[in-house]
Amino acid sequence: MEKITQLCADIVKLWSKYGGSYLTGMRNTLVLALIATAIGCVIGFICGILNTIPCTDRDPLPKRVLLRLIRIIVRVYVEVFRGTPMVLQAVFVYYGLPYFTDNAVKFTNIWVAAILVVSINTGAYMAESVRGGIISIDPGQTEGAKAIGMTHVQTMLHVILPQALRNIMPQIGNNFIINVKDTSVMFIIGFPDFFAAHRAAVGASYLYFPSATVEMAGYLCMTLIASFLLRWVEKKMDGSSNYELVQEDQLTMTAGTYNHPDKGTPFDEHSKEFRNRTEQELKFGRTRGDR
Amino acid sequence: MEDMILQVNHLSKSFGSHEVLRDIDFTVKKGDVTSIIGASGSGKSTLLRCINLLEIPTSGEILYHGKNVVAKGVNAPAYRSHVGMVFQSFNLFNNMTVLENCIVGQVKVLKRGREEAKAHAMQYLEKVGMTPYINAKPRQISGGQKQRVAIARALAMDPEVLLFDEPTSALDPEMVGEVLSVMRSLAQEGMTMLVVTHEMAFARDVSNHVVYMNGGVICEEGTPEELFGNPQKQETRDFLSRFRNN
Repeated sequence: MEKITQLCADIVKLWSKYGGSYLTGMRNTLVLALIATAIGCVIGFICGILNTIPCTDRDPLPKRVLLRLIRIIVRVYVEVFRGTPMVLQAVFVYYGLPYFTDNAVKFTNIWVAAILVVSINTGAYMAESVRGGIISIDPGQTEGAKAIGMTHVQTMLHVILPQALRNIMPQIGNNFIINVKDTSVMFIIGFPDFFAAHRAAVGASYLYFPSATVEMAGYLCMTLIASFLLRWVEKKMDGSSNYELVQEDQLTMTAGTYNHPDKGTPFDEHSKEFRNRTEQELKFGRTRGDR
Repeated sequence: MEDMILQVNHLSKSFGSHEVLRDIDFTVKKGDVTSIIGASGSGKSTLLRCINLLEIPTSGEILYHGKNVVAKGVNAPAYRSHVGMVFQSFNLFNNMTVLENCIVGQVKVLKRGREEAKAHAMQYLEKVGMTPYINAKPRQISGGQKQRVAIARALAMDPEVLLFDEPTSALDPEMVGEVLSVMRSLAQEGMTMLVVTHEMAFARDVSNHVVYMNGGVICEEGTPEELFGNPQKQETRDFLSRFRNN
């Protein structure tokens, strides 16, 4: 018990002294994760789309060669960035650029370097998720779009990608949460994130465990809020499970032009009986007539 | 011969070494309602899919107003926009409402204005009796309703010929009637239709030309009276007798 009170006291002490730097660290972590996930998604979508361009032996040779080349490049990119640790990629990019250019070109802004590394890393994972999302859509959707004369680009843009995006939302959320946590390795190139705040605080106070507790709670808070928001976004995307039956002909309902000639007759579509009858017909079919 | 819309010459299609269609010849004239009947696996659907270039024929040609659409360098999407297709599995776009399903092709492919497209879509949705459901998503309506929307979607593109690939085979028996009645009224209005079907009554009463396929070839064809009343070949008689008994 007294250990717990001790811990609480230490945390209060840490927070009063370094609270500001913890908070800016949290903000930086979230901003970096958000921007990098967004850019990563864009990279992933581009790669995923390029990877699923259909290629038949009826296409002209240059097109086939180009598509083959694109697929190889995307494949190499995915394998390299998925297969090496992000902490090393950061070092490799951050120190590699000045090394090869004799310090002529280097990252003057640590944000640019961090966003670049995390984005291309996320992009490598997303490329495969997007590809999976696209091939998970029923081929019938593509055929339906083709049958009304849509080109491949139109089919993708209006039919396949909106559905694929919905299917890979959980993956995007996954990547965002991973990025919130994994941007902690960016301290290696001196990025001032939440974990860097911990290193600064313990360097001065030697309160390793209390600071780690703050970090644990902080990261968990961020990821929990993120999951909650993502679920909410997914729900929004699904839309309402209800729909309105439209009884009136909407085209004739333009304000002022609609007269009501059947008023008072059995065919008055605004009357209760008429609506009930239409509803009954929809449910049970017409009693007489076309069936 | 300007009323000739489609002419299929020596069409063959193989999947690997499996030959599905062999040397198919037939024509579709304006206003024709052609029914293609035959046992499962006889190549009916493949023939229809070849006509819409969803499958590329191995050899032979498909002339659309005298122009071979199988040749390399033909703009397949532009051709498909003149030839509507209704699928067995509906293939409505799941991410759009009923109304959007009927609008998107007009706006994106035919470059119509949104208002014009909407008015046009509503006209056909009314014809198939789906106006109350324009705000519903495909997952919220029944199979028969989906197929009626699919027909409206195809019609909204103002196709010259409409292909039906077993439009009622995936439906519950009580929903078959509503789809067939829509198709029947289309035929009466003079729509050119090519229907792959197992509904013998529909083939007999509505179409003016019936094609019986067996084993990847056209076994026999003629008017419904000839084919159903007096079939010439033994295979045709065997096939039809299975339907007569019940």
